[in-house]
Amino acid sequence: MANVVELPVVPPPLPKSWSPAESTAKTISPLVERRLLPAGPAYLAHVKRAVHKLTFEEHDK
Amino acid sequence: MAAPNGTAEAPIEVSAIPTVVGINFGNSYASIAVLTKEGSAECIANEDGERQIACAVAFFGEEMYVGNQAKHQLVKNSQNTITGFRNLLGKKFSDIPKDRPTASAPVIQHPDHPDEPAYKVQILQAAPTPLPTTASNTPAASQAATPRSEPTPAERILTVSEVTSIFLKSLVQSAEDFLGKKVQGAVISIPAWFNEAQRAALEKAAADAGIKVLQLLEEAGAAAVTATSNASAQGISADRTQLIVDLGSSALELSLLSIRDGLAHSLATLSDPGVGGDAIDDKLIKYFAKEFTKKTKTPLAVAPAADAQDRRAEAKLRLAVEHTKRTISASPGAATCAVESLKDGLDYTGSINRLRFDMEARSVYERVYAKVQELVAAAGLDLYDVDEIVYVGGSASLPGLDEHLAQGFTESIATPFTAGTVVGGGEGDPTTILARGCALQAKLLALLAEETEEEREVKSAFAYGSKWQQAKATNKTIGMLFPEENAEGPLGGQWIPVVLRETVVPARRTVSFEVDLGESEEKKVGFEVWEAKEGVKIEKIKPPRDEEEEEEEEEEDIEVKEKTVEKESLLASLTLAAKEASQKNGRWTTKLEVQFVVDAEGKLSVTAWEVGKNGRGEQASVAVGPA
Ligand SMILES: Nc1ncnc2c1ncn2[C@@H]1O[C@H](COP(=O)(O)OP(=O)(O)OP(=O)(O)O)[C@@H](O)[C@H]1O
Ligand SMILES: [Mg+2]
Repeated sequence: MANVVELPVVPPPLPKSWSPAESTAKTISPLVERRLLPAGPAYLAHVKRAVHKLTFEEHDK
Repeated sequence: MAAPNGTAEAPIEVSAIPTVVGINFGNSYASIAVLTKEGSAECIANEDGERQIACAVAFFGEEMYVGNQAKHQLVKNSQNTITGFRNLLGKKFSDIPKDRPTASAPVIQHPDHPDEPAYKVQILQAAPTPLPTTASNTPAASQAATPRSEPTPAERILTVSEVTSIFLKSLVQSAEDFLGKKVQGAVISIPAWFNEAQRAALEKAAADAGIKVLQLLEEAGAAAVTATSNASAQGISADRTQLIVDLGSSALELSLLSIRDGLAHSLATLSDPGVGGDAIDDKLIKYFAKEFTKKTKTPLAVAPAADAQDRRAEAKLRLAVEHTKRTISASPGAATCAVESLKDGLDYTGSINRLRFDMEARSVYERVYAKVQELVAAAGLDLYDVDEIVYVGGSASLPGLDEHLAQGFTESIATPFTAGTVVGGGEGDPTTILARGCALQAKLLALLAEETEEEREVKSAFAYGSKWQQAKATNKTIGMLFPEENAEGPLGGQWIPVVLRETVVPARRTVSFEVDLGESEEKKVGFEVWEAKEGVKIEKIKPPRDEEEEEEEEEEDIEVKEKTVEKESLLASLTLAAKEASQKNGRWTTKLEVQFVVDAEGKLSVTAWEVGKNGRGEQASVAVGPA
């Protein structure tokens, strides 16, 4: 199961004038290359998903 | 065999976890951690009651000492006392600088192996047991057993690898004595700068000692494992920027890590040999030597010492201030330094309080601070971007260091000192954190399956240089903006960051919160998804003038820092009709859950749903390239 983080915020009501805007970007910014520290359960889970080609949902089970 | 009252036999302790240990192998001190029944890790003491075990091996006559006992041989038997061997692992003799003075056995060229460093020590070799006595050569009057003939002096050559094996073996022996079981595997910590040759040399030395090495784990990795295994207890966000300050004996090692839901990668590292406990010792022993001279009128010059007599006094003081420093770390009161027969047969007992101690150590604290600033700048960040400091290494136990560093960070910075977990072997104890992290890692590795090819592939991901360690991370923080009528500030609404910059992908984050829908009956939730630019704004303001103050001193401006967020690019918008809203005092609210997933290629999917009485409601979702 995905870990759900409860946030202590209460966003305000939508302005009357607001309408869903056209997006200005087609994608997120280019990803950057990094080197993981091969340690801990989160690294293990990350590798397991990659090696077994699992999505988060499949890995949850 | 059923007993009437159902008293079952004491359950056999079938622990699914093999007997594994974690070893912190520093250049000066080592420590060992084992797993508790509850699955946490704890440092153990060796048979001398030491948790910080000096990396020293000494030979005296027929005896060999390992650990703190060996270190004490530095006073009278320094030529036969070996220290500092870890840093020589995997090095060639010609690589080793020869100009440094040493207080222990000198490093020599091995007589037989080309370009290999070694140590030469004097030992006494036990003579062979005497031949059985005969009537003819036994004096008739003596009933006593014939003494063995005198052991003979000999020279012993030891390679760095052999010394390391002896030392590691003794560590594992201590663990086995404690556990009453054979140790089946170990994770050993290594510095970030250990190259392939150094790793190979350590693996070999461990193998020669009969130790199965599960992994050589970088110190930052070991620290991160410990620090993330208890984060929930401290109430720090699972996504955070963590600064690791490792201050040992001879060096400072800094790492800035991006920790994202337990997954860690390094943003910058920095190593500064020449700052650490030894430098603090220099200051302290000079301070105490001066006090000694004041008290006794006996001249004493240390660090550097003037002659052989002062050198010995210096060695004694160095051993003694070890205790002084630990007392300063453990309690706010003054600490003593006591040495028997320091010089000319005169004993010395002195004391130093926290204030004075921190004055003496100040130059070291300042250097650490300067290096921390350098590190964070090299990562393109500000000290205000750091959420947590983790301290590692003996010298990082000093509260004065934390106080000195704290001035530059946000007030909300989490440190083990603010959390009160440093002293008394707490979770944040810098002297045990590496060994505990190694033990937890050993547990994780020992439980990995190796049946299928895929499982073996997963296991191989922990090996040095595995391709699985290469990863891609986001470059900008992605979050939600809830637009607001007449909002204050440039954002125009409520900003909720969801996937922080430097989050390794694939990543998934799910957040939940209440949304205010207002009084209107048209209950609609809507938000925009933005990439944001984050920064820190620094403003210089004039300090408030004290009217009473007469002097017209030119006071320095005060720096006021503030974190900033700017909208950069709009990625998508999402709307959802609120069907589960409830009304209170005329206002509607609903509970919303939103999930962000960024896949390995950087495709972002945002899904939102309400959470009502009957669980999750209808989903609304949107995806942002690449196709
Ligand atoms: N509680 C304490 N308070 C202050 N200093 C301490 C404390 N415990 C140990 N030290 C000091 O910390 C140093 C040892 O630290 P550590 O064990 O981290 O070194 P190391 O990792 O072996 O060495 P290095 O990293 O320099 O190669 C010594 O100078 C020791 O005197
Ligand atoms: Mg160290």
